[in-house]
Amino acid sequence: MLRRLEFRPLAARGRRTIAAILVTFAFFSALTLTLSIWTTKGSQHRATVVEVAARQRTLAERYVSEVLLARRGARVDPGNTAAILARSGDALLNGGTAPSVWGDDDETKLTAATGGNVRGQLKQERRLVADLTATGSAFLANRSVTDVPLTAHEHLSMTNPVGRLRVARGVDLDVSLNAARTIAIADDHAVNHLIVVQAVLGALGLFVSLLLGWALIAATRRQTAHFRSLVTSSTDLVLVLGADGCRYVSESVTAMAGRTEAEMLGHGFEAFVHSNDGAAVREASARGRPREIVFRLRNQSGEWRHLEAHVTDLRQDKSVRGVVLNARDVTERIELEEQLTHQAFHDNLTGLPNRALFRDRLDQALARAERSDRLLAVLLVDLDGFKQVNDSLGHDAGDQLLQEIGRRFRSVVRASDTVARFGGDEFALLLEEVTEHEAVTLTQRLLDRLAAPVTIAGRPVALGASVGVVLHSGSGQSEELVRDADVAMYAAKDAGRGRYEIFCPEMAKDVGELLGIEHELRLGLQRGEFSLDYQPEIELETATIVGAEALLRWHSPTRGLVPPGRFIPIAETTGLIVPLGEFVVRQACAQAAEWRGAGLVPESFVTWVNVSAKQLGGNGLDKVIQRAFEETGLPPGALGLEVTETAVVEQGVAGDRARAELKLLHEQGVRIAIDDFGTGFSSLGQLRHFPIDMIKVDYSFVQGAMHDAKDAAITANLINLAHALGLVAVAEGIESAGQLTSMQSFGCDLGQGYLFARPMPAEKLNNLLAHGAPEFAPDEAVA
Amino acid sequence: MKTVMRQLTPWLGRLSVVTLTVLLASACSASGPTAVAGGTLVHVSERDFHIAVTPNHVPAGDVLVVMRNHGPDTHELIMVRSRSRLPLRRDGLTVDEDVLSAVGLVEGAGPGHVGQARLHLAPGRYELFCNMAGHFMAGMHAELVVG
Repeated sequence: MLRRLEFRPLAARGRRTIAAILVTFAFFSALTLTLSIWTTKGSQHRATVVEVAARQRTLAERYVSEVLLARRGARVDPGNTAAILARSGDALLNGGTAPSVWGDDDETKLTAATGGNVRGQLKQERRLVADLTATGSAFLANRSVTDVPLTAHEHLSMTNPVGRLRVARGVDLDVSLNAARTIAIADDHAVNHLIVVQAVLGALGLFVSLLLGWALIAATRRQTAHFRSLVTSSTDLVLVLGADGCRYVSESVTAMAGRTEAEMLGHGFEAFVHSNDGAAVREASARGRPREIVFRLRNQSGEWRHLEAHVTDLRQDKSVRGVVLNARDVTERIELEEQLTHQAFHDNLTGLPNRALFRDRLDQALARAERSDRLLAVLLVDLDGFKQVNDSLGHDAGDQLLQEIGRRFRSVVRASDTVARFGGDEFALLLEEVTEHEAVTLTQRLLDRLAAPVTIAGRPVALGASVGVVLHSGSGQSEELVRDADVAMYAAKDAGRGRYEIFCPEMAKDVGELLGIEHELRLGLQRGEFSLDYQPEIELETATIVGAEALLRWHSPTRGLVPPGRFIPIAETTGLIVPLGEFVVRQACAQAAEWRGAGLVPESFVTWVNVSAKQLGGNGLDKVIQRAFEETGLPPGALGLEVTETAVVEQGVAGDRARAELKLLHEQGVRIAIDDFGTGFSSLGQLRHFPIDMIKVDYSFVQGAMHDAKDAAITANLINLAHALGLVAVAEGIESAGQLTSMQSFGCDLGQGYLFARPMPAEKLNNLLAHGAPEFAPDEAVA
Repeated sequence: MKTVMRQLTPWLGRLSVVTLTVLLASACSASGPTAVAGGTLVHVSERDFHIAVTPNHVPAGDVLVVMRNHGPDTHELIMVRSRSRLPLRRDGLTVDEDVLSAVGLVEGAGPGHVGQARLHLAPGRYELFCNMAGHFMAGMHAELVVG
C-alpha cells in the first residue's frame, strides 16, 4: 500500500532526527561503556587470579624449602604452607577465598575459573600440589616417597625424595606458570575482543549517526528549498524592513513591479513608495504597526500599484531582525472599488453625478452658503417631449439624446457648478454663489441651448424643458430645496412647458396636493385601501347578464371614496398604475373564478378590466395575467381587457409593443375591447388590423342619440361597422328606457348603464346573478 | 592487522586440526607406516606427562611429525638423536638443549594445539621429549626408530 506523503514541518522532523542521533550515540556509548566495565572487571579478576596462580609457585618453592628445613630440624611449618597451597588451588578452580600468606597479603576472593584449558590446568596444578605435599609429608614422616601415589600422571623414576620433590615442584611451577599464562592470554583475548567490539560499535554508531545526520541535512535542505520556493514562487511580495531600509525582497518583486532586487534593497524601496504613503510605510518599518497598511509602489512603467501589506514585527527574532511586510497587489480591487464608488454616485449613461451625489454636494453647498451671504440656486429640469422621442426613435436614440443634453448643460454652467441626472429625463443643477439675475440668465441660456436641434438617428430633434428654479440663502434642508424646485418645475409644466418658474411658496399648495395623492396612493396600495366594484353588461335581446366590468375603487381613510378620475391620471403619471393594474387583474380573475366555481355565471360570461396604455408594452401585464390564470384556474376566454383607442393606435415603438402584447394575449383567448370608442382619432378601418372582439360605444353618443340626429347616425354607423368587422357592440351609459330602445333599434348587442345596474360590490352582484337580471326600470335611471 | 591475525590464529589452528584429523584417520586405517605427500607420517600424542609415538618405527627419509597436545599443560616436542643419557641442566629438571643438536622441533603450545615438523631422518634412534620445566623428568619422552 502506498504511504501517503504528508508535509511535516522541519521543526518536528529535525527534532526527531536529532533525538535519534543522540539516542544512537547514547546507546552505543552505553554499550561500549558496559563492555569496557565488564571487560575491565574481568581483567581485574584475571589479574587477581594470575596473582594467586603466581603465588602458588612461590608457595610451592616455600613448601619444598620448608620441608628441607624441617628435615634439618628448623622450626618451620610446611603443613600450613601445604594447606594454603591446597586451599588456594581450590579457590582458583572452584572460587572462594584464597587464604592470606603470612606477612604477604590479604585474603583474596575468587570466582570459579572458566574456560576448559584454564580449568584443566588448574585441576592439574591442584593434583600436582597434592602429589608435592604428599611426597613432602612422606619425606618428613620418613616414609618411602616411592609409595606415594601420584595423581597427576607424572612418572618419577628417581627414588631420592629430594629429587622427587624438586621434580614435583618444578612441574607444579610450570603448570602454575602456564595456567597464569593461559589466563593472561585469555585476558589479552578479552581485551582484544573488547577493542574489536568497541571499534565495531563505534564505527556502527558513527555510521548510523552519519546516516541520520545525512537524513537531517537532506531534510533540512528539502525543507529550506520548500520554503524558499514557497516564498519565491508566491505572487505575494515579501519585504523585510529594518533601520537600514529594505533588507530583503522576494523575487516576486520583478513580476509585481518590474523592479530588481538590487533596486529595492537598502533605501531604494522607499524611493518607489508614493510620497503620501511614505509615512505609513516608515511607521510600519519603525514600529511594526499597524498590522495592515496599503501603500502605492511605482512600477517600472511608472504606474502606481496599490499594495496591501500585512505587517509582522520580527525585530526580536534573531533569524530575521526586521519588520516583515507580506504584500499583495490589490490595484484591480481598489480600482474596482473606486469604479463602484463612482457608479454609486454617478449616472451610468451620462457620467453626471446622480441624485445621491447631488444631494451630498447640495448639503455641502448649503453649509457653505450658511457662512456666506451669497445665494445658491437649484434647478430641476424636466425635458418636454422626451418620451415621444424615446418611443418613436427607440431607447438608443433616447440615450444618445440624454448624453448630448448632459454635455450641453455642462457647457453652459461654470466648472464649479454641479449638473446631475436624477433619472429618466430629469436633470438637476446646483449653482453656487449666484445672484437671482445670474441664475435666471443661466436658466434661460439652458433653455436656448436645449432648443438647438440635435441630430439623433439621422433626424433633427429639438426639445424643450420645464425648469423649476429655487434660490436659497442657506439654513435649509437639501430635501426641501429639491422639493421646492420640483414644485416650481410642475408649475412651469402647468404654465405651458418650455419655460422656467422661480419657486414661490404659493406654488406649494397646488403641487403639494398632487404629491400628497401620490404618496397616499402608495400607502393605500400597501394598506389594501383599494377594491373592485362590478357593473353588469346585459345582452339586450335576452336581458341576461353576460358580463361585468370591474371598476377600481379607492377608499382613502383621509379623503373618503376618491373618484377614479382623480387618482388614475396620477397613478399613470407616477407609474403606480402598474401595481394598481396588477391588483385589478388578480382581484377580477379571482372573483370571476369564484362565480364560475359557484355556478353563478355561464361559461361565456366575461369579466372585463380596464387597462391603461401605461400598463402595456413591457410592464409585465401579460405575465400578471398568466399568473392570475394559473392561480385561479380561470380560462383566458373568461377575462376581457378594455383598452382605449389611443392605446392601440399609438404610433411608434410603444404602440407596436402594446399591440404585440395585446395580440399575444388575444391569441391565448383573452377578450379585447376598445373602450370609449368614438372619442379618439382612429378610424374604424385601423381596427381591422387589431386583435379585438368588442367595441364599447362611448356613453356620450348613447346619451345624445335620442336628441341629436348626428349622434344617432354616428352611433348607428358605429354599431353597423362593428358588426361588419365581426365585432360585438356595447352601448355604455344607458340610463333610460328611451336610450335602451334606441340602442335596440340600432341592433346593438349589449348594454351597460344605470338603467340596468350601477357598479356594485361583488357580494351584491352575487344576488343579481343568482336571481337573474332585474326588470329594466326606467325610474332607476337616475343621473 | 596484528590484532586481526591474532583473532584469526585460533581459527586457522582449528582448520589445521580438522585437516590433520582427516589425514590421521586415513593414516590409521592402514597397518604400518603411512606415506603422505610430505613423507612418512608420525603421530605424536602428548599429555601430562606422557608421549606416545605412532608408529615408533619408520623408514628413513622424509618424515612428517604431527604433534598433538592433549594437555592439560602446555607441551613442546624436541627431537634429538638418542644417546645413552641426555644431559641435564643445573636445575636438574630440564635437558640441556645447548649441548645437543635437535633434529626436529615443535614449539610449545597449550592444550588442543597441533603442531608439525617436516624432517629428513637418517636411519637411527631418535629421542622425542618435552623440555618444559620438569616434564622430561616427569616422564615425557619416547623413542622413534628410523631405518
